[in-house]
Amino acid sequence: MAKPPAPGSVLVPDWHESAEGKEYLRCILRKSRRRVFGECLSPVTSVTCCSLQGAEESVGKGSLVAKAHKLLLPSPHHAKWLPRPSTGIQTTVVFWPAKLQASSRVVMFRFEFWDCGESALTKFDHMLPACQEKADAFLFLFSFTDRASFEDLPGQLARVTGEAPGAVKMVIGSKFDQYMHTDVPEQDLRAFRQAWELPLLRVKSVPGRRLADGRTLDGWAGLADMAHVLNSLAEHLWHQDQVAAGLLASSPENTPD
Amino acid sequence: MGEERGPGGAVHLLCLAASSGVPLFCRSSRGGVPTRQQLPFSVIGSLNGVHMFGQNLDVQLSSARTEDTTVVWKSFHDSITLIVLSSEGGHSELKLERLLQMVFGAMVLLVGLEELTNIRNIERLKKELRASYHLIDSFLGNSELIGDLTQCVDCVIPPEGSPLQEALSNFAKATRTAFVSLVVSGRVLAATEGWWRLGTPEAVLLPWLLGSLPPQTARDYPVYLPHGSPTVPHRLLTLMLLPGLELCLLCGPQPLLSQLDPQLLESWWQPLLEPLRASVLLGPGALPAGFPLHEDILGLLLLHLELRRCLFTVEPSGDKEPSLVQRRRLLRSFYSLVTSTHFPPEPGLPEKVEDTAQKAQVPRACYLVSGPEEPGTGWRLVALQVGPRRLLLLLSPQSPTHGLRSLATHTLQALTPLF
Ligand SMILES: Nc1nc2c(ncn2[C@@H]2O[C@H](COP(=O)(O)OP(=O)(O)O)[C@@H](O)[C@H]2O)c(=O)[nH]1
Ligand SMILES: [Mg+2]
Repeated sequence: MAKPPAPGSVLVPDWHESAEGKEYLRCILRKSRRRVFGECLSPVTSVTCCSLQGAEESVGKGSLVAKAHKLLLPSPHHAKWLPRPSTGIQTTVVFWPAKLQASSRVVMFRFEFWDCGESALTKFDHMLPACQEKADAFLFLFSFTDRASFEDLPGQLARVTGEAPGAVKMVIGSKFDQYMHTDVPEQDLRAFRQAWELPLLRVKSVPGRRLADGRTLDGWAGLADMAHVLNSLAEHLWHQDQVAAGLLASSPENTPD
Repeated sequence: MGEERGPGGAVHLLCLAASSGVPLFCRSSRGGVPTRQQLPFSVIGSLNGVHMFGQNLDVQLSSARTEDTTVVWKSFHDSITLIVLSSEGGHSELKLERLLQMVFGAMVLLVGLEELTNIRNIERLKKELRASYHLIDSFLGNSELIGDLTQCVDCVIPPEGSPLQEALSNFAKATRTAFVSLVVSGRVLAATEGWWRLGTPEAVLLPWLLGSLPPQTARDYPVYLPHGSPTVPHRLLTLMLLPGLELCLLCGPQPLLSQLDPQLLESWWQPLLEPLRASVLLGPGALPAGFPLHEDILGLLLLHLELRRCLFTVEPSGDKEPSLVQRRRLLRSFYSLVTSTHFPPEPGLPEKVEDTAQKAQVPRACYLVSGPEEPGTGWRLVALQVGPRRLLLLLSPQSPTHGLRSLATHTLQALTPLF
C-alpha cells in the first residue's frame, strides 16, 4: 500500500457539511430509498469493495456497516435492525460523495462492505477467500473494550498484507463511546501507529438520534459519527488509485518493512 | 377460541440436550414481543424431568394442559428436546407442535443436523445456535406470515401476464442454478420449478429467514436443508433488487457471489424495473392489485394443500376493526381449530387422481362466530374445502350468517385461477 496521504490533502475536508455537499447527500437520501438500480448518480463513480476484518467476534463489524447504511437509508423499516451474529457473508452498499482538492470535482464513492461472521469463517473454508479476493480495501476492526481484539491486529495485518499488497488498509477502533472502560490505552495505540503507519480511526456505532416519530433515525444526526470514516476511506482509496495508475509517485518508505 | 388470548400471554421455548438435560437455550415472548424473562432453572429441570421419566417407562409425554398454560414436548433424533409453554389462549396442541417442528428446522437450517445429533462440545453448540435466535424469535412474534403454522409457502401473486416468471427462468438458466426465486418481504413472488420442489420445512423456512433479516445488499449464507440435505450445506445467495425484493439462489460452490455483480444484475433486471416495483407494493396484500373481494371480507387465508402454497392477507378494509394483529390471531386460531377438529389433517401426498376429482364435488364447510352472542356482533369465520384448496375467511359482524357459505364459495371460485 502506498504511503497514506495526509488527512485533507486529497479531499476537501468537511465538504459534506457545506451547502453543496448537503445537496449531494440529500440526493442520496432520497434516491437510495427507492433505487437500487441505476447507480450512476454522478459522472464519476468510484466503485470499491471493502472487506471487514476482525479476529474476535463482536468487535462491531455488523454495527459499523449498519450505521453507515442506516445513515443513508433512514426508513422506519431499519429501526428494527439489531446486531446479530451473522451466519455467512453479507454485503452492504453505501454511497458517499466527496470533493477532490486538486480538480474540485465531486466523486461519488460506492463502497461495498463485505462482512463475514466468524463462526462461518472457521467452519467453511471458502468464506475467507470469497471475502478477500476482490477487496480494494481492508478495514481491520478492534474493539476498545476488548484487548484481545487489539492484540490480534498484527497477525491479521500480516496475513492480508501477503495476499493483497496493493490494497488500502485501515484500522478502526470500535465502541469508542465506551472509552471510559477501555482496555486499549492511548500509548499502545501510539506504538501501534508508529510500527504500522496505518490510518487509525475511532468509531461509535450506537444508534443516532431518532426523528419525531420515535422510530426513524435522523440521517443527519448520524453523519458526524460516520462521516470521518467514509471520508478517510474515500481519501485513501482515491490516493491509492492515483498511485496505482502512476499518476503519483510512490515514495520509497512505502516498501514493506 | 383464540380471541380470548390476552395481550400479556407469554410463550417460553426451551431447548435441551436430550441425554444430559443441559439447557442449550431459552427464548421467550410476551404478547408477541421477545422478552428476556427466563424460567427458573428448577422449572426447566422439572419439565425435562417428567418427559424423561415417561421415556424411561416407554411412555411418550407429548402435551399437557393447565387452566391457562399448554405445554408441548418433542424430541428430535434422541438428541434434542424442545419444550414450549404457552399461556396465550387459543394455542391448540397442533399449533405448538408445528412451532416446535419449525424451530428444530431452523436449528438444522443454520447449524446442520450433524452438530445437533452428535454433540461433542456443548459450549460450542450453544455458541453456534446463537445464530438461529433471531429466526426462532420470529416464530414467537406476531409474524405477518403463516407458513410456520400451515406448513405451506407464503406467496404473493404477481399481476396477470407478469413477465417475471419467464425472466426468472431465463436467469436461472444463465446462472446454471435450478433453485431460484423472487421473494417479497418473506413471501415467494415467483420461483423456478426446482425451487417449488423443495421439501418441507425448507420451502417455508428459506423465505421466512429472508423476511426476518435486516436489509442487506447481498448475502452468501451456508444453509442445511432440513429435509433435502441436512448434513451437507448448500449456499443461499440473496441479491437485493429493490428494497423489500430479493432474488434468491440456492446453489453449490458456483456461482460465486462476486460473479453476480451489479452489472450482471442490472442487465437482467433493469428492463423489468416497473413490474418489480409493482410487486414490492403487493407485500402484505398478497393479491394482485384491484382483485375484487367482497366488502365484508377482513382477512383471507387460501391454501393449496397439494402444491403446499398459501395466500394470507388481513389487509382488506384495513382501517376497520379489528386490528391487523388481531385479525391474524383470529385466522391463525381458526386455522388450528378447523385443522385439528373439523377437517382431516392435510393430505400429505395427493391421493389417486379419481379420488381427488370425486372430492372436488363435495365441498365441506364450517363456520364460527367469535365474540358476543348478540345478533349482528362477533366476527364471522368461515372455512371451506374444495378439492386440494381450503379457504378461510374472516368477515365483519354485519355479514349475514345465511350468506356465509355462498360468499365463501364465490370467493374461492374467484381465487381458484391464482393457484
Ligand atoms: N457501545 C457500543 N456498542 C457497540 C458498538 N459497536 C458494536 N456494539 C455492540 O457490540 C455487539 C457486537 O456488535 P456486532 O456489530 O454484531 O459485532 P460483529 O460480530 O463484529 O459483527 C453488539 O451488541 C453491538 O450492539 C459501539 O460502537 N458502541
Ligand atoms: Mg457480525
